[in-house]
Amino acid sequence: MQFKHLPFHFNYSKTMKNILAVFASVFLLSMTAQTQTLSGFVYDINGTPLPSSTVIVDGSSGVFCDYNGHYEISALSLGKHSIEFSFIGYLKKTFEIEITKGENNLNARLKEDAVMINDVVVVGYGVQRRKEVTGSIAKIDAKKITAVQTPSFEAALQGQAAGVQVSQSSGAAGAGSLIRIRGVASISGSGDPLVVVDGIPITQEYFLNRRAGYGGGFNNNPLASINPNDIESIEILKDAAATGIYGSRGANGVILITTKRGTSKTSFEYSSRIGFSKVASRPNMMNTEEYLTIRQEAWENDGGTGYVWLPHMSSSTDSPESRRAAYLRAVETNTDWVDETVGTGMKNAHSFAARTGGDKWSMYSGFAYDDNESYMLGNSYTRISGRINLDVDLAPWAKLLFSGSMSQGRNQRVSMAWSGGLGRAMSQALPYMPVRYENDTLVNGVSYESGDFYQWNTNWNMVAEREMKKWRSTENRTFTNAQLILTPLQDLHVKFTGGFDRMLVEEDMWEPEAFNNYLDQGNLYSNTILNWNVGVTADYQHEIDDTQALTLLVGSEYQRADNFSWDYYFPNSPSPVYSSDSLQSLLDTADRRINLPTQHSFLSYFSRINYSLEDRYFFQATMRVDGSSRFGRNSRYGFFPAVSAGWVISDENWFNAENISFLKVRSSVGKTGAANIPDYARFGTYSPTNNGITYAGDSILYPIQPANPDLKWESTRTIDGSVEIGLLQDRLVLEVGAYHKWSTDVLMNVSVPASTGFTNYWDNVGTVMNRGVELSIKSYNTTGRLGWVTELNVSKNYNELIDIGEYTPDAISGGSNDSRVIVGRPIGSFFLVEHSHVDAETGLPVYIDLEGNETFEYSNDIRKYVGDGLPDFIGGMTNSLTYGNWDLTALVSFSVGAKIFDSSAKRQLGVVSDWNMRTELFDRWQQPGDESTYPRLTLDETTYSLPSGFPWWNTSLFIYDASYLRLRNLTLGYNVPGKNEIRLAVNATNVFTITNFPGLDPEVVRDFENAQDRNMSANVTYLTPPQERAFTFSITANF
Amino acid sequence: MKTTTFLLAISLSLISCDRLLVFEPGEVILAEDAISTSDDLQRLLISTYDVLGNLYDGRVQIVNELRGDNLAEPDNNNDYKSVYNRETTFFTGINGGIYTDFYYAIYRSNVVLGSFDLVEDITPVDRTRITAEARFVRAVCHLGAVKMFAQPFGYTSDNSHLGIPLRLEASQNPLPRASVGEVYTAIIEDFTYAAEHLPSSNGAYATSDAANGYLAHMHFLMQDWMKTVSYCDAIISSGHYSLDTDLNRFESGITNVETIFGIQSFMDSDLLEDATFVDFRCESLRDNYRSDNNPTPQLTFSIDFINWWNGLGEGSGDARAEWFTSGERNFCNRFNGLDVFNVPLIHLSGIMLIRAEALSELNENLSSAITDINSIRSRANASLLSESSDATLIRNAARIDYRKETLCEGTWVDQLQRRGTMGEDITIRGGSWDCPGMALQFSNTENTVSGFVLNPEGGCL
Repeated sequence: MQFKHLPFHFNYSKTMKNILAVFASVFLLSMTAQTQTLSGFVYDINGTPLPSSTVIVDGSSGVFCDYNGHYEISALSLGKHSIEFSFIGYLKKTFEIEITKGENNLNARLKEDAVMINDVVVVGYGVQRRKEVTGSIAKIDAKKITAVQTPSFEAALQGQAAGVQVSQSSGAAGAGSLIRIRGVASISGSGDPLVVVDGIPITQEYFLNRRAGYGGGFNNNPLASINPNDIESIEILKDAAATGIYGSRGANGVILITTKRGTSKTSFEYSSRIGFSKVASRPNMMNTEEYLTIRQEAWENDGGTGYVWLPHMSSSTDSPESRRAAYLRAVETNTDWVDETVGTGMKNAHSFAARTGGDKWSMYSGFAYDDNESYMLGNSYTRISGRINLDVDLAPWAKLLFSGSMSQGRNQRVSMAWSGGLGRAMSQALPYMPVRYENDTLVNGVSYESGDFYQWNTNWNMVAEREMKKWRSTENRTFTNAQLILTPLQDLHVKFTGGFDRMLVEEDMWEPEAFNNYLDQGNLYSNTILNWNVGVTADYQHEIDDTQALTLLVGSEYQRADNFSWDYYFPNSPSPVYSSDSLQSLLDTADRRINLPTQHSFLSYFSRINYSLEDRYFFQATMRVDGSSRFGRNSRYGFFPAVSAGWVISDENWFNAENISFLKVRSSVGKTGAANIPDYARFGTYSPTNNGITYAGDSILYPIQPANPDLKWESTRTIDGSVEIGLLQDRLVLEVGAYHKWSTDVLMNVSVPASTGFTNYWDNVGTVMNRGVELSIKSYNTTGRLGWVTELNVSKNYNELIDIGEYTPDAISGGSNDSRVIVGRPIGSFFLVEHSHVDAETGLPVYIDLEGNETFEYSNDIRKYVGDGLPDFIGGMTNSLTYGNWDLTALVSFSVGAKIFDSSAKRQLGVVSDWNMRTELFDRWQQPGDESTYPRLTLDETTYSLPSGFPWWNTSLFIYDASYLRLRNLTLGYNVPGKNEIRLAVNATNVFTITNFPGLDPEVVRDFENAQDRNMSANVTYLTPPQERAFTFSITANF
Repeated sequence: MKTTTFLLAISLSLISCDRLLVFEPGEVILAEDAISTSDDLQRLLISTYDVLGNLYDGRVQIVNELRGDNLAEPDNNNDYKSVYNRETTFFTGINGGIYTDFYYAIYRSNVVLGSFDLVEDITPVDRTRITAEARFVRAVCHLGAVKMFAQPFGYTSDNSHLGIPLRLEASQNPLPRASVGEVYTAIIEDFTYAAEHLPSSNGAYATSDAANGYLAHMHFLMQDWMKTVSYCDAIISSGHYSLDTDLNRFESGITNVETIFGIQSFMDSDLLEDATFVDFRCESLRDNYRSDNNPTPQLTFSIDFINWWNGLGEGSGDARAEWFTSGERNFCNRFNGLDVFNVPLIHLSGIMLIRAEALSELNENLSSAITDINSIRSRANASLLSESSDATLIRNAARIDYRKETLCEGTWVDQLQRRGTMGEDITIRGGSWDCPGMALQFSNTENTVSGFVLNPEGGCL
């Protein structure tokens, strides 16, 4: 007897039982002398080969399939045989077959085992059976990603995994999400998890919108270009045992994205989705009558007589007659600026994919088009993407895997938040201002004709801006990676990988002369990030004896990223650069500014050892040494070890709990790191020699930043443990986990005393603690024709800043968001003057000083911790009902205990100014004895004891409970009976939200200035666009 | 064994590639490489003037003018309003920016002073000059900061009240506030060294006269009349300066004959092919005061100022009355028609007027004081001071003309506070000359290390 293919091991892919069977087959089959053979392939239901799956003959002998799922057994005896196919994570399938002389053929398609415990999960640099996993990993099926209409795929992760907080930023087209895995440990460095696509860490740069004022109130989203239809699965690595293999990159968790691959059987997938979206909640701004009433009252409260002066129409020093005339003109106009900026956004997405292959190759190719308009007029994100994943068997011992994708995301931009658009409709756009002049008008010496767009303070209104300005961002993204897998020795697999991620983002903006009062101007702001990754790994699996197995992985990896940017200026250009071939041909010679390129690299060596005993005791140790160009020679390398163990108690012989079908405990301890800081933060630098700056005609040389040669790795030590329980034959599966993360040497871009000659300095300063508990439940409530599955996850994370050295809370701030670092409180706590109440006699606000006493005196000296944006609990619950061919899925996500700082309310509900106000302000004090939420109205900030020239009423009055429960997703589907898998579905997102938050949306992620702001200012809203409510119809077909 | 060897080979395959981790920022210069020649040092020194140019293009002058009693409440600039109402906080941008810029220049000056060992090609003459210039700029900035961010010299009898961090060497260590007395002592040492070692002519840059001019002003604020007169005498008798025949000291292209030290805007028609390169160092003054091209300038004169002027009885006979137009808003005309101009900081008119007042305080050489005042008045066609005027009349006249001559220049508030320390009953727009808010609040970044003492806020209204 002989095997045509060697038993093949890809990490933890065989059980001890199967191993014994294989070795038995060697003995038994060698005793026969017949020539009959049996061969075939083992696939999953999608036709994907299942390498290393097991084929057992008559329950006693068998072989493993090769990398293509192919097996061949020779020397079978004639007659009936029982052939059993099995693969981890899949249901076994047994066939009775009559073996005849010559060649016999039998293929098998295995269905996934629905029970989570038997899943195969992708881990760093390999896969493991979930049973063997000793780290904390959440797996999310791709279907859950594509089932939901979201601006970008990562938003669909919300509510899907315990310990993973996903906050959708806004309803803007292409908007990203803020993902935090087990809290945030970083302060100034990026706190985002590492995203790895097919083994390659990709570029994650959120601050490439560099113009129009930090991007026009909108951060770019580096994940928006990923086509969700290409995704096979997503694994989220949470603890040190899981992320340790990524060492310095894993402190904030890792998201592994695996894309689909080809099959030997040709099949096609088509999906189409159409729909529309509206704004999920609408701002309640005042109309003209309401605003004028409020303003008049404030004026009179301040002692004014006659008609109040009106911004952009009159001034406080005008005569009473002038003010009256302006007032009477104002009442003639009532513009609803919200209506002028929002509408209905249409959704139109199509995706087509094919899988095919032959004996030696397989291929997945996918193409998708997604046109996603937001509810903000003029705003859309259109993605065109294509992918080819090709697998080729070069030889029995060599396999080549290639993955390539290209995508283009085109974002038609409008100003938003503080920058304009809907944000301005919630602030400076007053209802008495028209969209267009009704009559010929002379303003400050400039004449406007009837029908011209109205402008104020030399700014065009939002409708004019939208119609006159041409503005779009285009991201061209290429992911390419190749893997050459060699099997030079039995059970030894060597993988050479090379990956290239090219990200080109161009922000292209054109303004006509009429808009900027200067000249037609086309500007192009270009960023290119090139990200190379090469590596080699070797894994070796060694069966020590019948009860012990050892797997060793070693590897090294090098990653380098280069970031280039250019600014192009085209004065007197009649059109945007993107629509002008002649301008594009001038890009090499145009007036441009080349910004300094930045580069960084990581060089890593890692190893993982797995040891299993009796298939129920599992041990793992990982070690990684990372070197980073971001650190100097003295601290360039960091060592990040982790050890973990798992014990499947239910496999013990003595275990006899009838209702407990699975019981496992696992624990880990380890150290991970972070180095997500600017590439050259450690260097002391001076200006270039030819910096172009002169004084009195003489050139100058000047320092830019101070050096910190001792800058080093931020490191996090994590202890983690969990219990997994399967009850009632795994109809009820629970996992309860807890963790404690202690981050030291936290990298902080601290504000230093200006008298040092600098204002900021990168240093390892902070200590941060995160600890929490997680609960996941999956329950098959009913089975049969009516199926009902409930999945629930709840997690609690407690974050505390332990130490920031000699620095004060003001040393680190989240942009302009009044979020600070306060020892003993979470990162990004709100640091404001505490508001107590409105004094019923005077109508003035009463504050609480640091001693807890009430005071009318507002002072920055009495700022204190007044809340934070981190929730006590987050979670999601999915209920899936199936009845015949129908299914209904509802995802409810919830967050409890977080506060939200409505930073725009300090103007919308504070001192009456040149902003429009919200109607909640009607609940104001008007006369002695009034009990009201808001104080007496005033145009003078000093009435509230605010410093003169400081009209921002920054108090805890605008800190709200942000707890919410949201029906995030509701999908009704129908699977058309027949050979082909055709599915029709209607989907609604953000159907309703239950919350006490009086603002627009309790789930908010505003635009940020930088990574520090992103870490610090969770749950701060400042004119941030609310989320969309979308309704879509989709059809998918697999054939 | 074979397998083990293979694994080791793989794992070691990329070892010894440390060079793969070496990237240095492009184009910019690493700090350790930045200064190696005298030219580097000179360019770093020029950068300190560049910062002065950014400070004194009007920013400092406007803030100081807003602290005084010449201006009305600003139109709508919240930062200006905060200063005007003497309620700056560390959130107010303009005081933070000015404070930061002062210390940019101080830091760079200190780096210059600490870097001579890095430079081999420097001549002793240049070393002396560069040292003197660096100390001059450091002193200008310490003086500018201490006057704005602390109560004035003389606020306490021993000047032990809190001043500002005194930075005499480049360091990243936080420092507490030194006393005003300590700060003044250090400044005087710097200016004195500069006066003794700077050349008498130095292009757009500091000269010994400039240092003497600052020393004169400082000693005037310190009420050391003798030294004031002495330093003023040195400048006036040098013959390097003369009163301009017209009233415009804010000229472009040339250094005004009165200017002892100032900020230079720069124009060069050769630098650009089809236009003139202009380095504006006057934008804050121009953009906030000019009323000929802006119907709603940010800054106008207060009604109290107009009343004061009218109360002098000069009417329109004084040509300096052309510097404003009174009405519903009292517009400033002093910079009308000017797009680019130099900004004098120390000028002969000011020196002559403080010498006159110092002499009146000394009750010495009064005829010289009268001559100085009258030469300035006659240029403006204003009524002359009687030759028989006594010391009190001379002092009053010197003060009146100082206020007139330095309109918009931001130094009048210093005189008000000085007079407050002399015991005069000085009230500035309803607030005492030493009310807490007169001292601007520090930059928000200065408060980022525990222990730094901020100024009390408000208390002036």
